Amino acid sequence: MGAALRFLAVLAVALWTAGAAGQQPLRVVATTTDLKSLMEAVGGNRVQVVSLVPPQLDAEDYQPKPQDVARLRDAALLLRVGADYDLWADKLVRQSGRRELARGGERYVDCSFSIALLDVRGTEVGASGGHAHGNGNPHYWLDPANAEIITGTMLEALARVDAPNAKFYEAGRTQFLQRLRDKMRAWDQAVAPAQGKPMIAYHNTWAYFARRFRLNFAATIEPRPGVPPTPSHLAGLKNIIKKQNVMAIVRQPNEPLKHVQFLAGKSGAKVLVLAASVGAVPEAGDYLSLFDYNIGVLAQAFK
Amino acid sequence: MSDAIALLWLPFCISVALVGIHTALGLHVLRRNIIFVDLALAQIAALGATVAFMLGHAVNSSGSYAYSLLFTLITAMVLASTRAWSGRISQEALIGVIYVVAAAAAFLLVEKAPQGTEHIKQVLTGNILTAGLDELMVVAPVYAVIGAALWFARARLAHQASGVAGWWWDFFFYACFGVVVTSSVALAGVLLVFVFLIVPAAIGLLYADGARSLVIGWAVGVVASVAGLALSYAWDLPTGSTMVCVFGAVLAVAGALRPLLRGRQALARSVTVLRVVITGVLVLSGIWLCALPRADQPLLDVVERVVPEARTLYLTAQERTIHDEAEAYAERYRRQAEQLNAREAASRWQGAALDDNEVRRISSFLKSYNEMRKGEEFVQREVRSRARTRNRWVLGLALVLCGALIVPWPWWRLRGRQHTGDGQERGRTAGLG
Repeated sequence: MGAALRFLAVLAVALWTAGAAGQQPLRVVATTTDLKSLMEAVGGNRVQVVSLVPPQLDAEDYQPKPQDVARLRDAALLLRVGADYDLWADKLVRQSGRRELARGGERYVDCSFSIALLDVRGTEVGASGGHAHGNGNPHYWLDPANAEIITGTMLEALARVDAPNAKFYEAGRTQFLQRLRDKMRAWDQAVAPAQGKPMIAYHNTWAYFARRFRLNFAATIEPRPGVPPTPSHLAGLKNIIKKQNVMAIVRQPNEPLKHVQFLAGKSGAKVLVLAASVGAVPEAGDYLSLFDYNIGVLAQAFK
Repeated sequence: MSDAIALLWLPFCISVALVGIHTALGLHVLRRNIIFVDLALAQIAALGATVAFMLGHAVNSSGSYAYSLLFTLITAMVLASTRAWSGRISQEALIGVIYVVAAAAAFLLVEKAPQGTEHIKQVLTGNILTAGLDELMVVAPVYAVIGAALWFARARLAHQASGVAGWWWDFFFYACFGVVVTSSVALAGVLLVFVFLIVPAAIGLLYADGARSLVIGWAVGVVASVAGLALSYAWDLPTGSTMVCVFGAVLAVAGALRPLLRGRQALARSVTVLRVVITGVLVLSGIWLCALPRADQPLLDVVERVVPEARTLYLTAQERTIHDEAEAYAERYRRQAEQLNAREAASRWQGAALDDNEVRRISSFLKSYNEMRKGEEFVQREVRSRARTRNRWVLGLALVLCGALIVPWPWWRLRGRQHTGDGQERGRTAGLG
């Protein structure tokens, strides 16, 4: 069934491609690799997407390069995570001088549009301590169900700037969502052993991921996003680990090892490396394999 | 309490080891007036570690340590050769340039590497809280050997001979320094290592000479480390930065107390300075209050924060009620928002899952709570601003008057007295001579 569908979809894509041969692909700029991967899933070979933040770097602390301004110059769309995650993009757009890429412009796409945000604490940018997270937790792409909303936003934007190909983009999105739904069933099964088991994360990255897959992140090593742990916070974590029998500490490859190792050494908990973005580990080559990898790690650890 | 001790005894032992070696080095550094050399060497060591990292050596491996050491020794040679590099510009300028260039080069190198920016942050603030016993076991013997070497060579190092022998002694000093800094920066970070180096040694030299200054520096350093660690635990603050600030405060106190030991005249002079400063603050605050009562009033804000009852001085009973109620409501909204957040977080993995609409409803509640809290905070601010505007002339005048009472009055006579005092002193010494 799945194979037949896929064949039909590939056929449809091939036909569309043949029809549009010779067309220049639409140049799209995304701030992160995750948006890039989703955009590629929707736009297929009609779009050429570049992402600004290298996958191993922390997008919340990214410093744009001169090249990034040049990349915006001929961009048909700018995709951003929003929710105060990539605030530096505003400055970059201002530097490029292209109004239509700025907030409210017709080529500006805030992918957090219509997402149900978690951890809302403030109403403005720069809440107390550390980098924002004031407008809600920005790591919403880690809930694969949100991909449906994100790709919907992308499709709407593509149809706006490239109306003749709207049908092609819609087919691309439908096909992607079909694959995503199949995958989600498999992930739900695979992740079952890890559900509800207490874990500790370094940064408060996993709220959406936890909600979708019913995972229990009991605490974070950072007391507030971007703030290194204090001694009493570490003591509290040690207690949580002991009391709730925490078996795993989760870190991303770009997060500091020291505190994680310290806690793991004191408690015997396993350290799991999870990827929060496409490309953060070599196995997570695109949006779907990002979850393949993460769910695989969790299933392996708690089997 | 036992939690705190279990967590902090190791950082304390490491601090003691670091204070031990760095105070000894710091005395030489202060004498040679090359204050920022440790920053430069530390940054060079970090650059070496970064190069090793880019070449595929693991962080904290022997390969990375070897690269650090190599870079540091080369810099030690450069520094030894440039003691009087131009005769016109102090060596400190060169040291500063080495520091910033090494820092910038490390940034360029790690640009593309994972953990890159994290790595650089670590170099700056370090990780004394989570350093391990194995690390202490490695550095302690190294520090002991270098400390002993410095002790036996102290006369040579203080003398600073010229010529080839002088070059070798300089190189020896910088090499020792480099070896220490390479490991201590990995443990505690550049900022903390800098205060370990300068503050205890400076306080030691303020109060004594020779070996006694070393002992004073050690004692002060250990006490300040304990205070920093304790404060960081009690007030829930990041450890490295807290310790740096505590060391700074200790230096300020030591500097302020010094006149007490240096006779009545010095004491009188510093009391005068203190009175002038206090007067300045009071008078400026008074004028500022009269001019712009609705702007931030730092002095009043600090006083009210420390002693909330001070508000009764200028708020009417009704204003006080409004203010206190607004405060209570703001706190209530904050708590309610936290409770909602906690409930949502718990529902992620236990009980019934919330659907997107329920999550959105919670978010909009949270936003309203936060808005309402902001509203209450605005009310508090507004009540204070209005009362301040109403009372600005009285309060402002009171502040200026307080200043006038404290000022060493009258100026010209005091200055004259000081002159004659100095004159008498000089006359007396001359007479004795």
